[in-house]
Amino acid sequence: MTLARKCVPFTPFDGDLKRMSIALVTAGGVHLREQEPFNIADELGDLTYRVFADDVESTQLMVTHHHYDHTDADQDINVVFPIDVLRDLAAEGFIGGLARKHVGYMGYTMQLKAMYEGTAPQIANEIDRGGRADAVVLTGG
Amino acid sequence: MCHRTVVAVQREIEMRGIPTVLITVSPEVSAQMRPPRALYPKGFKIGNSLGRPNMRELQRQVLRDALSLLLENTRPGSVVTREYPDYGEQYEPPHVRN
Repeated sequence: MTLARKCVPFTPFDGDLKRMSIALVTAGGVHLREQEPFNIADELGDLTYRVFADDVESTQLMVTHHHYDHTDADQDINVVFPIDVLRDLAAEGFIGGLARKHVGYMGYTMQLKAMYEGTAPQIANEIDRGGRADAVVLTGG
Repeated sequence: MCHRTVVAVQREIEMRGIPTVLITVSPEVSAQMRPPRALYPKGFKIGNSLGRPNMRELQRQVLRDALSLLLENTRPGSVVTREYPDYGEQYEPPHVRN
């Protein structure tokens, strides 16, 4: 579905955060060390994304991205992908828990049409059908 | 750029009927794409969406505030700014050139 930019899709949040499973999505180039890094050599960018399970270890995550300074994320991935922070909020009862799937991709691309019509709906499908998230927190990097 | 495409992903998820909130450290760029809900932690630099490394209590507060926007009567398409003095030195966000 295409939507003019001036229209804003909006789903009201109906419920209690304490019962909700939350998913994370970041454009900050986060991936597992064992996953293929994003292709920073291609000046057109990289349209792919990486999926992480809810039990992902933050120490196994890293950043491949050449359009921002990720030295802080290299020390603590939570500054762009707050997976341990989300676990803290689940432990303190602020949210119900973590959704089954979380997503990292590299937000830099020159192929905007392919990003908007391909990658974005694919990530939404992962979160919707695969992850069963009740709500999603996104970060730009 | 990342702060632009991330809103495209956010809007797609929202169209599936799942509520979303964006944490952006490039509020003008994100606002151009009209995010359903967004939090700008004022003065945080690019690469520090949640704050600085290992500042876990600050990171928790930013994430709690972002999630709390789901419960608030925010205006779709706008970015809510919050201040976090514990972050320390503040940075000027990228500005959109017209």
